[in-house]
Amino acid sequence: MSNKIVPSIYRAVIDDVIDAIRPEFEEFGVSADLVRKLQDKWEMKILASRVADFPVEPPPPQPTYPYPALPHATHNVPAYVPPSAAQQRLKSGGIDARYALATAQYAFPPLPGPTLPAQNKNTSAPVTAAVYTLPQTDGPSVSEDDDDLEPVSVPTRIGQLSGAPVGKGELAAGEGLSKDAEQIGSDLDDDSDDSENDAEEGEEAQSEIDMVFCTYDKVARVKNKWKCVLKDGMIHAGGKDYLFQRCTGEFEW
Amino acid sequence: MASVYYEFYRGSSVGMALTDALDELITEGTVTPQLAMKVLQQFDVSLANTIVRDVKAKAKVKGQLRTYRLCDDVWTFMIKDATVAVENEVIKSPRLKIVACKSGELATAGAHLPAEKH
Repeated sequence: MSNKIVPSIYRAVIDDVIDAIRPEFEEFGVSADLVRKLQDKWEMKILASRVADFPVEPPPPQPTYPYPALPHATHNVPAYVPPSAAQQRLKSGGIDARYALATAQYAFPPLPGPTLPAQNKNTSAPVTAAVYTLPQTDGPSVSEDDDDLEPVSVPTRIGQLSGAPVGKGELAAGEGLSKDAEQIGSDLDDDSDDSENDAEEGEEAQSEIDMVFCTYDKVARVKNKWKCVLKDGMIHAGGKDYLFQRCTGEFEW
Repeated sequence: MASVYYEFYRGSSVGMALTDALDELITEGTVTPQLAMKVLQQFDVSLANTIVRDVKAKAKVKGQLRTYRLCDDVWTFMIKDATVAVENEVIKSPRLKIVACKSGELATAGAHLPAEKH
């Protein structure tokens, strides 16, 4: 149940935050378009993360969508149709980590929808247009552009670290890190602990570690039995988000 | 309503999405880092209040406690083979990390618990 309420909660949070920061943005002299842009980016990323099934919103009034017949075979995508050839917003099954743009296709559960391609093949524009929820923001997200962008952006950042035109980002990053470690001795201990933990987690769980963010009311232990009372939490497990108001935990150490 | 707003929700999916979106705008130069900080602070407040106000679900977690840590009133647990029951959904997780800050009511009570086990 708490996964089903997640979209509405997130919608409330987004609206709350956007409304609250709008005057801040105006104070800073930033245009209102930027608020809209931030909101769109934020929503797209949330959709891309697929942490819940987000509802379908009324379609944007753009009936002239060229529908490619089927999604591209290069991506491991179920039979969803991208909105337009120019804006290739295909969502892969997590194998291809190209989260660049998301589509409203998340309204449908991750099962192949047999009716969907059939509809798309017919020119039922309003029906299929209903698939797409959020107004699509920009960006011809042609895959080649993405590939070009990534190597371009990395050297510029690394250039700032090492100051030398190093072609390989990893080397420069390593140099930057070691320089910092030498300068600040106290951080070295923290880094070593963190790196050990990260190495453990990296080896054992290549996928995300499931997390719970919350507050605690009570944590108690009797011998090796731990009991805790947690409040107002967000669970991220199995790639999905869940929310709770109260949670009891029972663990054995 | 919590009087202290914690920043750890920024590590959640919503929070990371907002942080990434803000980072993109900062890189473009359309948003100053200062403004982005204000947005994130507002996010902390909004998310905490919304969860307190709108979420009523109860959950239960069981599993094997692998490590525990209490530092600066923040408990961090690593649970192995966790089973999480939320409302009528059950999720199993091989490794679950719980980060819990002291709740508002508890902060005033000043409860102390042994952090070390011998």
